Amino acid sequence: MRRALLAITGLAASTTALVVFKAAPGTGQLAREVPAPAPTAAGKAEPAAGPDRKTPSGSPKPTRSAAGASRSASSAAPKRPAASPTGTAAAQPSASTIVGPVATNEFGEVQVRITVVGDRIVNAAALRLPRRTAQSDQRSDQVDSRYSGTVGMVVERQSADLDTITGATATSDSYRGSLQAAIDQAR
Amino acid sequence: MTTYPRPASGPRPPLRAGSHEPAPAVPRRGAGGRRLLVVLFLGGLVASVLPWWLDTPTGSLTGGIAMTTAAGQITGLVAGYLLLVQVLMMSRLPVLELWAGGERIARWHRDVAATLLVAVLAHTALILVGYAGLEGRSPLRQAGVMLREYQDMVSAFAAAGLLVLVGLVSVRAVRRVLPYELWHATHLAAYAVLLLGYAHQFSNGSQLFRPGPARTGWIALYVLVIAAWLWGRVIKPLRFNLRHRLRVSDLVTESPDAVSIYLTGVRLDRLELLGGQFFRWRFLTRGCWWQSHPFSVSAAGNDRWLRLTVKVVGRHTQDLRNLDPGVRVWAAGPSGTCTAAHRTRERALLIAAGSGITPLRAMLEELPPNAALIYRARTSADVLLREELDWLARNRGLRVWYVLGSRGDPGPRQVMTPDGIRQLVPDVARRDVYLCGPPGLVEQCRRVLRQAGVRRRQIHLATFEL
Repeated sequence: MRRALLAITGLAASTTALVVFKAAPGTGQLAREVPAPAPTAAGKAEPAAGPDRKTPSGSPKPTRSAAGASRSASSAAPKRPAASPTGTAAAQPSASTIVGPVATNEFGEVQVRITVVGDRIVNAAALRLPRRTAQSDQRSDQVDSRYSGTVGMVVERQSADLDTITGATATSDSYRGSLQAAIDQAR
Repeated sequence: MTTYPRPASGPRPPLRAGSHEPAPAVPRRGAGGRRLLVVLFLGGLVASVLPWWLDTPTGSLTGGIAMTTAAGQITGLVAGYLLLVQVLMMSRLPVLELWAGGERIARWHRDVAATLLVAVLAHTALILVGYAGLEGRSPLRQAGVMLREYQDMVSAFAAAGLLVLVGLVSVRAVRRVLPYELWHATHLAAYAVLLLGYAHQFSNGSQLFRPGPARTGWIALYVLVIAAWLWGRVIKPLRFNLRHRLRVSDLVTESPDAVSIYLTGVRLDRLELLGGQFFRWRFLTRGCWWQSHPFSVSAAGNDRWLRLTVKVVGRHTQDLRNLDPGVRVWAAGPSGTCTAAHRTRERALLIAAGSGITPLRAMLEELPPNAALIYRARTSADVLLREELDWLARNRGLRVWYVLGSRGDPGPRQVMTPDGIRQLVPDVARRDVYLCGPPGLVEQCRRVLRQAGVRRRQIHLATFEL
C-alpha cells in the first residue's frame, strides 16, 4: 500500500511537472506572437512562388494543416492563371498570397491565408485552427472544409460575409476576422 | 471412505533427499528478470505519454483551462496504459511467473490498481473541468453534453463507473466482509472496463484519433495484451489439462473444518511442480464449475497423486466437502515463487498460521535438513497434518514448535517478538523465512523478522490473495 501511495504521488507530481514544462512562460507567449503577422507583408510582396511558402508556425498540428492547405493551393493555383487569361487582366495574371493576422478565441488561434489573382480571391486556406481536443478538431475540420479551398465559401462569395458553421460559432467568427483583415490588405 | 495412500498411514511421498544428501539444486532466479520487467514498465509509461509530449509545443499551454485539459490528457494516457498493464499482469504469462512470481505480481497488481483508479478519476474530472471551461459551461452540464453529443462517451463513463466499483470491493476492509464469489464476479467486470473504455480513446483522444504512429502503437499494445492473455489463460491451461486429466480420487477429513482432496491423473511424473506452489482449481461439478479458487498443493510432487488441503470458510469450500470421487478437475498453474528453489540461504525457518501450513508442508521435503517450523494455531484441533509434521520432525531433523492460543495469549505474544523468535531460532538472521497465514499475521511476522535482522530478500510470502 505504501508503494501505491508513492505511485499516486508520483503520478500527480509528474503530471503537474509535464504541464508546467509545456506551459507558456507568460511574456514569452506574446513575444512569440509578434513575428507571426510578419509573413503578411512578405507574402504580399512575393509573386507566384508564394503559395508553396510555409508560414512559420510553432505547433506541429497547424503546420500539418498548413502544409495540406498549401499543397491544395499550389495544385490549384496554376490552373487559375490558365483559366483567367480570358478575363480582363489578360496579360499578366500574377497570383499573390496574403496572410491574415492571428485571431484568438477561447479554443485556440485562427489564421487565414488567401490567394488573390487580380482582385479575385482564388483560394483560401486556414494556417491555424483550434485543435486542442478531438471535438474542436472535428469542428475546425468542418469550418475548414466549408470555407477554405478553391471552391469553398470564401471563393464563392469573394468576401468575409460567410455563414456561421453550426456548433463552431467562435471559430467561424475568428475565421471571418482573419479573412476580413487579409482582404483589407489585398485592396 | 476408500483407503487411498496417505503420507501418514500408507506409502509416503517419495522423499527427494535423505537427511544427509545434498539439497536440490537452486535454479537461479535472481532479481535480473524482475528489474527488466520494472524497466519495461517504466519505458512503456514514458512511451504512452510521449504522443502528448510531442503533440504539445512548449509554451502552447496558456491559461488554466488549457493546462487542466492537458493534465486530463496525460492522466488519460497513463490510465489507458495502466489498465493494459493490469490485464497483462493477470494474464499468467509464463515469463511473468518466472521473472517476478505470482505472489509479487499480485502485489504489483494491487498497487497499480490504486494508481489506475486515481488516474481514471483524475482524467474524468480534469477533462470535464477543462472542456467545461473551454465551452463556458458548468462541469456538470458538460458531462451531460459529452454523454449526448460525443462519440462513445456513454460506454466510457460506464467503464469508469465499473472501475470504481471494482476498486471499492477490493478495498481490504470491504473485501473481507464480502464472499469470495461476489468479489470474484465483480472483478471479472474489469474486463468489461477494457472493452467499454476502448472506443472513446480513439474517437475523442486528442493524441489517438488521428491515424499515425501513436494510434497504431496503442492498438498494437491492445493486440499484444490480448494475445498474452489468451496464451496464459486459455492455451496454456488447455494444454495442461489435456495432458494430465486430473480427477478427484479421495477426500480425507483432516480436522472439523478442513478437508484434504486427493487427485489423480495421467503423466503426473512430468508435472513440474515445486512444493509451495499453488494451482487455481475448478471442480467440474454442479454449483462449482463456474468458480476457480487458488489452493496450495499440500504435499510435495510425486508421480501418483496431488493433494490440496482446504479449510472450510465459505460456500464454495463447504461444497468441496461433498465432492464425489471421479469428478473432473480443471487446474491452472502451477504458480508461486514461495518454494525451496527460491531460497537464498542453506537453512530455512517456516512460520505458518492455521491453514497456511499447506504450502509450507509441501515444501518441507524439498528443503535441506535442519529446517525449523513455527506453527501458530488457535487450538490443537486447528493444527492440520500434524502426523506428517511429526513424522518429518523425526526423520528429517525438522524442528517444530506448535504455538497455540489466540493472539492475545502470553505464549503467542511472547513468540511473536524479535527476542522470542531469536530464542527459538538463534540463527534466524541467517535463514530464509517462509511465511503463510492470514494477512494480518504475515504483516506482523514480517515486521518482527525485520527487527530480528532478517533481510528483506530472505523473507518469502506465500500469499496469493489479491
